Amino acid sequence: MERGTRDEAADVHALEPEAFLEEVHSFEFWFQSVQGYLAGLSFGHRPDVHGAPLAPDERERLVTVLCNYCVGETAALEGASGLVAIAPNRLTKVFLATQVADEGRHLEVLLHRLAELGIPAPESEIERRASRSLLHFKRRLRELVESRDWEAAIFAQNVILEAMEFTVFQSHARTADLVTREVLQGIVKDERRHIGFGENELGRRLQASPHIRARIGEVKKELDHWVLESFEETLREIGVPNEERPELGRSYLEVVARLGFA
Amino acid sequence: MSTDPLLRHDDLQEAVPRQRFLLEDTGFDEVPPKYRRFYRKWRGPGDALAANEVICPVCKVVIRSTRELRPGDRVYCMPCMSRLVVVRAEDGGLEARVAY
Amino acid sequence: MSDFLSMYSVQHWLESCPQGYLVGTEFGHPPGESESELIVSDPLLREQAIGTTVQLVVGERCALAASSGLINSAPDEASKRFLATQTLDEARHVEIFTQRLFDLGLKKSELESAIEQYANPNLMKFAEVLLEKVDRKDFVAGVVGQNVVLEGMAFSVFEMMYAGSQTLNPKFAHTLSGTIADERRHVGFGENRIGSLIQEHPEKKPAIERMQKEMSYYMLATFADSFRNNPAREEFKKLRMSTSGAPKAEWHGADLNALEPEEMESLLADTVLKEFKVRLGRIGIEYQTPIRP
Repeated sequence: MERGTRDEAADVHALEPEAFLEEVHSFEFWFQSVQGYLAGLSFGHRPDVHGAPLAPDERERLVTVLCNYCVGETAALEGASGLVAIAPNRLTKVFLATQVADEGRHLEVLLHRLAELGIPAPESEIERRASRSLLHFKRRLRELVESRDWEAAIFAQNVILEAMEFTVFQSHARTADLVTREVLQGIVKDERRHIGFGENELGRRLQASPHIRARIGEVKKELDHWVLESFEETLREIGVPNEERPELGRSYLEVVARLGFA
Repeated sequence: MSTDPLLRHDDLQEAVPRQRFLLEDTGFDEVPPKYRRFYRKWRGPGDALAANEVICPVCKVVIRSTRELRPGDRVYCMPCMSRLVVVRAEDGGLEARVAY
Repeated sequence: MSDFLSMYSVQHWLESCPQGYLVGTEFGHPPGESESELIVSDPLLREQAIGTTVQLVVGERCALAASSGLINSAPDEASKRFLATQTLDEARHVEIFTQRLFDLGLKKSELESAIEQYANPNLMKFAEVLLEKVDRKDFVAGVVGQNVVLEGMAFSVFEMMYAGSQTLNPKFAHTLSGTIADERRHVGFGENRIGSLIQEHPEKKPAIERMQKEMSYYMLATFADSFRNNPAREEFKKLRMSTSGAPKAEWHGADLNALEPEEMESLLADTVLKEFKVRLGRIGIEYQTPIRP
């Protein structure tokens, strides 16, 4: 048994780095983590929570936003599942499998929320309302995964896309109706694992092989425009005031700065 | 003996002993129960960090230790799976930097 | 279709699997359980257990690659979401069987070399046939190969191992019981979802039937390698003698403790092939009898 991994009294900070990664990339870790915040929920919210009726224009805006979240989550589901095949080792494969299930859950709870808002055929509604820039991003992400470029795909998926979702969902949860808020808060808890995995995996790779920095820099340059545009569109739809938007964009910029792409 | 450069200091060799902390579960529910006491939510402006706490720069969760933290210490953020090293910030406080 | 697929939702999966039969388990079994001392202390039996577990890891790695690979070619959102839960099930199986190798005394640094040493070449071929369909993004063939053929095989193999382990090795039996529960969903999805797709794409039948025949051959060859000329045969006899007086290990009407390895091979092969025939018939595919190795 690894030192401290299963000891109730274990000091987490005393784990060896390898034992830490073995622990956090496991199904067991995922399983016990999600139990903490998903137990008792039905489709991402407490079954007895019902939101107050929304005004028609509020509902309309929320439907558009949720449709675009579905596009993002479908991109993440397809991206993460494609990454399992090219993941370099057992631990990253198992971690990505947990991410695949998380993304599948996100898509499901968002579709369910759309149904609760009276959208009978969410898939055609998503097609109608999807942001052009987000669809472009989704297409590019899929190409990167299919080209089996592990670092570039991880950067696009777990750094760019996840950082954007993490920021937007957190911001939206603050002002959303009660049901949407609970759904988004649950998603944010999952996203913490995904952004952390992406940043740390890529950070380690960049440190070990600095030559890949130039290639990732190119991907960033290409995708930045689409990311920031869809970011802007969503923030506008959820009603974030102009003066607060640069603050939200900063968290994405902080991540790329930590990786040395400022 | 580990050769990890971020290995924790041996407390006994330090000139000024470290303060010890008893950690209690604060309701943080995003990691397995046995690890929950090592983390808490950041309550925003007005919240203050204790001597055994730093904020994870990746996911903004407060990381807690059973002992007072000092520059050079290694800490882990389990919710986002980051390995971090504690450094002295420009304002004199402590902050965590990601060690990839 | 959407009503049927709601049974395969992530919510349903959460309630039945992580919040259902896996609650309170650690690597698939109750905490504190360990491998049978009889196996761990006997070098031949331990090596045999490692060899068998490696085949399970190889099979589950293939299932993980296939289920994740099929998500991108799934024609609808609900199937994508089901396959997302299956991907995680398969990753869990990889993890718990890998953990069993460690519990049997394998060092982490020895894992990949042990897999290379013990992985059955016929099982690798079986995986290649399936993954080739997945790589071509052939969803219908991929799901038949994965959720009907591979999962159908795994279902029977796990059930037989479960029956044989209940008395001898309760820890392993408990580990297997969770995987059997998972496989039930996977074979169910395979049959239920794919039936309608076969009706829509009858032109795919000949290629799928060829795939089934080829995969079945490699499966039988794997069984033959595992049961015939087994160096641990005498040790197994000893192990079975040690359980005299214990309840029978019954599976499909036979007492596994009383069977010779060849008889076990025959029982397993016949059971799996019979299951294939019935399942494939239900989805409109004509079962092809494989060559017997």
